[in-house]
Parts: sequence; structure tokens; C-alpha cells
Amino acid sequence: MKASFPNFGYDTYALKTFLEDLGADVILAPPNSRRTIELGALHSPELICMPYKITLGNMLEALELGADTLFMAAGARKCRFGYYHYLQERALRELGKQCRLIPVAQYSPFDFIFKAMPRMFGVSPLRVVRAVAKMLAKSRLTQEFRQQLNRKRAIDFDAAERARRKALAVVEQAQTFRGIEQARGEVRRLFNLNGVVPRVRLGLVGEIYFMIEQFANQEIEKELGRMGVEVVFERSLYRHLRHLLFSDPAFVRSGRLARRYLRESPGGEAIRTVGEAVHFQRQGLDGLVHIFPFTCMPENIALEALEKLSEETGLPVLSLSFDEHTSRTGLLTRLEAFVDLVKRRKSGRGLHRN
Amino acid sequence: MRVGVPRALLYYRYGRFWEEFLTGLGAEVVVSRRTDKVLLQNGLGHVSSEICLPIKIMAGHIEELAGKIDVLFLPRLLWLEDKLYACPKMIGIVDIARMMFDGRLPVCAPSIRGDFWWSHFRAGMELCHDPVRVVRALARARRYVPVHDQAPDFPAGEKRVALLGHFYNLDDDFISRPMVDTLSSHGYRICTKDELPESVLRSRQGFARNIRWVYERELYNAFRFLADKVDGVCMIVSMGCGPDSLVAEFMREEAQQRDRPFLQLVIDEHTGTAGIVTRIEAFLELAERRRAKTGGQARAA
Repeated sequence: MKASFPNFGYDTYALKTFLEDLGADVILAPPNSRRTIELGALHSPELICMPYKITLGNMLEALELGADTLFMAAGARKCRFGYYHYLQERALRELGKQCRLIPVAQYSPFDFIFKAMPRMFGVSPLRVVRAVAKMLAKSRLTQEFRQQLNRKRAIDFDAAERARRKALAVVEQAQTFRGIEQARGEVRRLFNLNGVVPRVRLGLVGEIYFMIEQFANQEIEKELGRMGVEVVFERSLYRHLRHLLFSDPAFVRSGRLARRYLRESPGGEAIRTVGEAVHFQRQGLDGLVHIFPFTCMPENIALEALEKLSEETGLPVLSLSFDEHTSRTGLLTRLEAFVDLVKRRKSGRGLHRN
Repeated sequence: MRVGVPRALLYYRYGRFWEEFLTGLGAEVVVSRRTDKVLLQNGLGHVSSEICLPIKIMAGHIEELAGKIDVLFLPRLLWLEDKLYACPKMIGIVDIARMMFDGRLPVCAPSIRGDFWWSHFRAGMELCHDPVRVVRALARARRYVPVHDQAPDFPAGEKRVALLGHFYNLDDDFISRPMVDTLSSHGYRICTKDELPESVLRSRQGFARNIRWVYERELYNAFRFLADKVDGVCMIVSMGCGPDSLVAEFMREEAQQRDRPFLQLVIDEHTGTAGIVTRIEAFLELAERRRAKTGGQARAA
């Protein structure tokens, strides 16, 4: 079986390790590019949100490389995301592609571990449990990698980018539990800060795909790092997996903190976005950047809550919605202006020079 | 006590029921005026520009009511029976309403989690504190909950089009007037999903089983039911409507398979009437041509 799946930021490596542990031959989709998104958009309904287009593009490019089995996250509830795979399967069929698209229902992890995966790969459930444990360990590694990379970028951007390449190779090569443990130390060493703390810290909240997939959000973490800002985030594949498998303390806390603004979950990740925003505000971060795909339903509700939060506490919030037409220049200008504002506020000068 | 009911979204299904129910509780019911341009404009300022038209209209209605009422009655539909969800924005609008007025305007928002009557009972208790009276009001208002169990007739030889879309778009004259007028002025009978019986709309057959949004499942089932009985299908989608963006794709494909003209009209607050009329006329032209080709009525069912 030549398995593939849509790219998912740095966590692509965690998912790859998982499938390889189960004995699949993994073909990674080529790194996201202009072509990916154009290919995806060409075969997408016009009103669909952006993750659909990128993931479909990934699938098409992976098929070109010879993949025959595609995995796609699923789980139909209130958000559109759970329905992607129906449309994608149809789109692939219409294009005459010979492949299987396997939806992975997020909300039934035990069915996934004990039934679906053992049957599919012909392995014992115990091996799947082990693979899941390793995926957790590895996604934790990528989460730490991102956190430290963001911090290092704010202090010394060039050194961070140099270290990033080395650290990424370390992350990619960690295949065993012990290797992952060693990689954690190695990554920490590579991004060593000597105790320097970034001056300005911004919280990044939003829809999970955009939080993780750096191409989709136009490398917002990197651009903010270039401006000397540390990007703090909480959403990651690691926490999401923990949340699905048992419970994640950070997500539980988010649910509690969000209640002030949203009494019921509108689905998707809105509750977490709002909860994290309140948490970041209490932590004393200097501002928030909220990212989501254009016309995302839950995040648009969260946006109203964030505006309210900003109104009540004076915390600067920048909401950015993305689609394939989002211009990079426009984005950078907005980020620069926002960072300027945050820095001025921080130094107590205000916006006017009087 | 003056209780405000905005004339938007779920009002178009449960409005009569709510009015009767609240009157039964001894409240003075204030319903916002019909949607118009000014009202929509007022709503725009309260919600993000990416949100769909019906939510913007809802925000306008809520703003119109503020100041005239003591409490806002705005039930929140989370899911109906069978865990069929409402869309995220319909769930979230209640919180937006609460945030719009900083808690200065109390909102009575029973959460409907498959327990339609119990949630209304609780809401009634919040408003009048007398269980007997609440039960009596509910019992009296009960018959105003719309129930359809009879399928309409489809006589042969009649020109018909299906006008599909969410009931809160179709029943709002402000939104649907140009479409309805154009279609009926060409002598077409308009079939909507809301005249179909519940048994058809809630059917779990085929792809409908996978659709977990309650109103999308209804739309899809209505489409399956009507597609063979009409000359064309016209679908109204609000810009930014997530569920529609997916389900309409499946309808478009099936319409192609069944050789029925399919028109998807995307509307937002900037939509002009002229553009809509032109597109509908082009669509009817197609429907006419198909009728001529197949020799009058084509009835597969």
C-alpha cells in the first residue's frame, strides 16, 4: 500500500511516523505550493473554504507521485470540515483517479484504534496503540519545536532560520521513542536562547488547520518572528489528539474561560479560540492574532467574541481571514501596522506623538 | 412584560407558535417589523462582514427591538431529534445578541437539544414562574407548530420549478421577492421544501444519511423528491453559507444526471434585483427548451 495524506505543517512528520509504524509505504505529498492550491481550487466548489482546496491539491499531487491510498480526517458535526471527504472522493472519481480515500472519523478514536486500523493494515490492535503513542510523542516534539523556533526567531531571526533546518532534520529522523526523547534535547540545544526573553509576545489563535499548516497562513509565525515578535500558540496536533483520546487540560480550561462569551459551542474550534484568547489576555500577552479561512462559520462567531474581549480589556486583536487570493503584501502591511501598534502601546507612548 | 421576538431565522418556522405561547404566559409580544433596507443596514454594523445575509438581517431585527422590550426571546436550536445539528451561525447568533448589548438587554434563550417541549417549558418558567400556566400556554400554542404530513399534488401539464433554499430566506419577502415574482410571472408554479411532508424531508435514504445538518438534510431530500417532478431547480444560497456550499454541489451533480436545469443564486446584501431576474430568465429559457424537447411534461415518477 502506498499511503499518503494531506500535508499538515510540521506535524506531517508525526502522521508519517504513525503510518510507517503500521507498515504502510508512505508517499508524502509535495510541499504545498502555488500549484497545490491552484490544482485544488480548479476542482473545488466556488464557495467552499480554503482547507478543502489545499487538501484536495495535496491529494492530487500525491497521486501523481504514485500514492494509491489517501487518508483524510473526517467526522461530521457542525463544521463543514467533516464533510470534505465525500466531496473530495467524488472529485477524485470524476477525474478518473484510481485510489481509495479513507476517511478517519475523529470522534470515534477507539473504533479507529481497535477496529478500523487493525483491519486495514492487518496488524494487532496493540501495534496500533503503540503507533498512536508514538504519534503523540512525535507531535509533542513538533509542538516544542515550533514553540522554541518562534521564540528564537523573535530574538535572532537569522540564527533561528539556520537552526531550523538542522532541527527539522532531527525531528524528521526521530523514529523510536528513545530517538524522539533525544531529539527533544537536541532541538532545545539548537534553539538555545541563553536566557534572553523576547520583548513583545503575541498570541495566535484560530482554526486548527490554519494554526498548523504554515503555507495556508502564509508563514505568519515566520513573518511575525522577523518583526521581533514571539508568537505564542496553544493549538497543536498533540493537544488535539490528546483531546480526542482522553482529555487535554488546556482545552478543558479553554472551554471554561470561553463561557463568558459563548454559552454553547457553535461547533468547530470556536470555543477553543475564545478560551485561548481569554487565557492569553490573562497571561499578559501584548496582543492577539486571529486567523481563519474565509467564510469559516465557527470562527466568524468567535470573531465577535474576540472583538468583545478586545473592547472590554483593551487588548489589541487582529483578525485575518485567508483564501487563495489573499495577497502577501497586504498581509505584511497589516501585520507591520499591528506590530507597530502593539510595540507603541507596550512602550507607553500611545499612537500620537504629543 | 414586553417580550421581543425578532422576525428572522427560526421565526419563519415557529413564529406563530412563539407568539401564542408568549401571549399565553401573559407577556406582551413585540415582533420586529418586516425586513427592509434600513434594518439590514443597521444589522451590518453588529456582525462580521463575512457572515451570511440571514444572520446580518437577524442582527438588524435584534437592534430594532432593543429599547422597545424588556426581554429578548431567542431560542437556540442546537440539534433536533436524531442529533441533527443546526448550523454554527444559528447557534452563535444568540451569543452575538447577548454581546451586542453588554447584558443590558436580558435574553431568554432556551437551548433546544432534541427536547423541543422541555426547553420551551424551561424558557416559560424563566419568564413567568408558574408551571401550570406554562403548561397551559404550551398546550394551547401547540397547534401552531407547523406540521406537514400531506404531499402536494403534481398535476400533469403544469409548469413547475423547485425553489430551494432555507426557509428563512424564502419566507423573507425582502430576500425572495425578486425570485418568486420572476418565476411566477412566467407562469411557473413554485414548489418549495416547506410544503413537503415530514416523512420525505427527514428521510435517511441515500446520501441524506450522511448529512448531519438538519435543514440541509431537508433541502437535499426535498431536492431528491422534487427533481423528477419539476422542469428545473433553482437554489438560493446566501454568500458564506457553509452547509449550502457543500450540499449544493451534490445537488448540482444529481441535477445534471437527471437532466434538469440547475441554477444556484448566491445572494448577499449587495445583490441587485436586475442580475437575479436576468439569471432566472436565462434559467427558465433552458427549462422551456427542455420541456419542448421532451414533449411537454417529463415525468419520471
